[in-house]
Amino acid sequence: MDLLNAPAQSLREAPNLALLDGAGQKADPRRILADRVEQLYDQLWIAIVGAFAIGGIATFELWEPRFGGLVLFWWGLVMLMTFASAGLLLSYRRSRSKLAEADQWMRWLGLSALAIGSVWGFAGAVFFPSHTGEQQVFLAFLIAGVVTSGIPVFAGSWPVYAVFAASVLAPFAYVLATFGNRLFTELAILVPVFYAVSVAIAYRLSNVFATGYRLRYAYSELTDDYRELNKRLGKQLLELEEAGRQVEASGRKLALFADRAPIAVLEIDVEGEIQQINPAAEVLFGYAATELIGQPIEVLVAADARAEFAAKWRAIVDTQIPMMAQLINNIRHDSLDIVCEWTVTPLVSPDGRILSVVAQGRDMSRQLEAERMKKEFTSTLSHELRTPLTSIIGSLELVNSGVLGDVTKDVLDLTVIAERNGQRLLDLINDLLDVEKIRAGKFDLAPAVLEIDDVLEEALVLNRAFATRYQVRLTTIGSLPATQIYADRKRLIQVLTNLLSNAAKFSPQGETVEVALEDRGAAVRVSVHDHGPGIPESFRAKMFTRFSQADSTTTRQQGGTGLGLAICKHLIEIMHGRINYQDRDGGGTTFWFEIPKYTPSNNNEKEA
Amino acid sequence: MPTRPLEKVLYVEDDEDIQRIVRMSLERVGKMSIEVVGNSTLAIEAMKAYKPDLVMLDWMMPEMDGPAVFRKMKEDPEVADLPVVFITAKASSRELDTLIAMGAKGTISKPFSPKDLPDQLRTFWSNLPD
Repeated sequence: MDLLNAPAQSLREAPNLALLDGAGQKADPRRILADRVEQLYDQLWIAIVGAFAIGGIATFELWEPRFGGLVLFWWGLVMLMTFASAGLLLSYRRSRSKLAEADQWMRWLGLSALAIGSVWGFAGAVFFPSHTGEQQVFLAFLIAGVVTSGIPVFAGSWPVYAVFAASVLAPFAYVLATFGNRLFTELAILVPVFYAVSVAIAYRLSNVFATGYRLRYAYSELTDDYRELNKRLGKQLLELEEAGRQVEASGRKLALFADRAPIAVLEIDVEGEIQQINPAAEVLFGYAATELIGQPIEVLVAADARAEFAAKWRAIVDTQIPMMAQLINNIRHDSLDIVCEWTVTPLVSPDGRILSVVAQGRDMSRQLEAERMKKEFTSTLSHELRTPLTSIIGSLELVNSGVLGDVTKDVLDLTVIAERNGQRLLDLINDLLDVEKIRAGKFDLAPAVLEIDDVLEEALVLNRAFATRYQVRLTTIGSLPATQIYADRKRLIQVLTNLLSNAAKFSPQGETVEVALEDRGAAVRVSVHDHGPGIPESFRAKMFTRFSQADSTTTRQQGGTGLGLAICKHLIEIMHGRINYQDRDGGGTTFWFEIPKYTPSNNNEKEA
Repeated sequence: MPTRPLEKVLYVEDDEDIQRIVRMSLERVGKMSIEVVGNSTLAIEAMKAYKPDLVMLDWMMPEMDGPAVFRKMKEDPEVADLPVVFITAKASSRELDTLIAMGAKGTISKPFSPKDLPDQLRTFWSNLPD
């Protein structure tokens, strides 16, 4: 599901681009101003070169020996302004603060325009009254030309142009108005009109430029956004392709898993109709896939199990929670009943719909049959083996006890051997049954409040005869005030018998096995000390595991099944105790176990 | 504790070998009288005829098992009060508990010791109310 979701999620994020909200932020008026300033400076050289050239021509044209000094002074002013403006242009070009100080550069440009304009204005105002009519026409033409050609040059900023034109026209208009000639006075009145028209044109142009710049920015932002969008789309396309490949690969993998799996896999739609089955399912149910696809799943459920199945199916569809380890009675194509264990998983879409239900099942019939047989075998072992053993051991015991009269020594020797080995067989059967119960988790306890020393005394009595056979004495050391425990008497005696008989078996002849009771606070410890050879290093790790004896020859020498300690450990642990052993100083081994003391409060729930 | 000692025992058991061993145990070791019934369906009739002090019932028997005989005894006032001890190869303590819960006076596990059997029965006998 994750594989399918991943690309879908990134696609959903895609429209979240900076396209819409980012546009306004980028149309920065400062940048537009800077661009306009740059345009003005870019065109400034036209004004400079123009002023330089026209200044030269005008000087030549207006040359009069009478005013030679004044004309030369003016020419000097033209040169000064030209070079000053060129200097300004140069320093702007070199400036690194074109953007940050755009308004400052604009002011400098305004000053430059004012200065250049004033030079022309000076020419108009000073030379017009003093020169001849032809030269006056030249001057008028010059001034009109300068004002007009200033429009495109300063169109980037209409206020700059307004300053420029005013500085050219104002002195000239003043001179015309005060000349005393009627024609000139009328011309002087026309000058402001001409000025107003020119400034208006410059204003319009300047707005057109400003709009142009704004559009340019909008366009560049659009292209930026477009590029970004394109980049992201490209990336998402790659991701989508990769996800597609992954989905395809996992799909192939899944198909492979399903095809080759030994487990039957069925895909069922929410209505219970079979959508797809794998080869293992074909084998399990004896149908070809084509026969089953489109059929209701009930055809695979045994008739008597259909109501139960329907309830389970409802539960899965309603809760959308998978079910594990469901045993269902199924029916094969050949009408054979089989019991299968199913894991049923609804495939739920992100919007909470069940897409389909996947059922994985395996035939449990054989396993269940095996379990049943094992149980039956255990029960047979318990009953059918014990019954003849009862006769064998019972008969031999009666013979050996002497109540039936004396038998010859040879016969008695043999019947004693037979009884002992019958007993050994019985012990083995009992141990095997115990292990089987432990394995199946069916060990029943019959716990009661017991006096531990009482139990210990009984165990000693029961095992004394066995110890005597190995010429070993069982003794108690120390004493303990009567202490109550809560345990299963029979099982506790089983543990004690195991420890005592082990100690006797592995003790040298004539030695004693000492049993001690010890108060350990919340628990009471029973220790069995022997003087045996100790436990071989290699054997220590598996002391309490099943079928362990130090070596297989001891089994023959000492008897026993090797199950005893494993059973003891389990018994002590289910009675909430613990069991272990330790080496004794000077040889021998101490086996001990601890059982919690009985206190009415902590054992209440067990008594209930 | 009953005032008189345990003397007459009726044993219901289908296995003839075990019948024989128990008979020897009770007669030779325990010095008691014993009557054995092999067919459990005839057990109640035998009780009425023999009038034992105590009845020993095997659990697993064909036709009618020990618990079934026990239940039937409870329906018959003539034998309902006879003390019953089960002798069984079933070892599970839960199963033994159900027998005690049913009213059995004791249980003995197979294999039992023929040497100790009379003493075990006398212990159950001595624990009975008067």
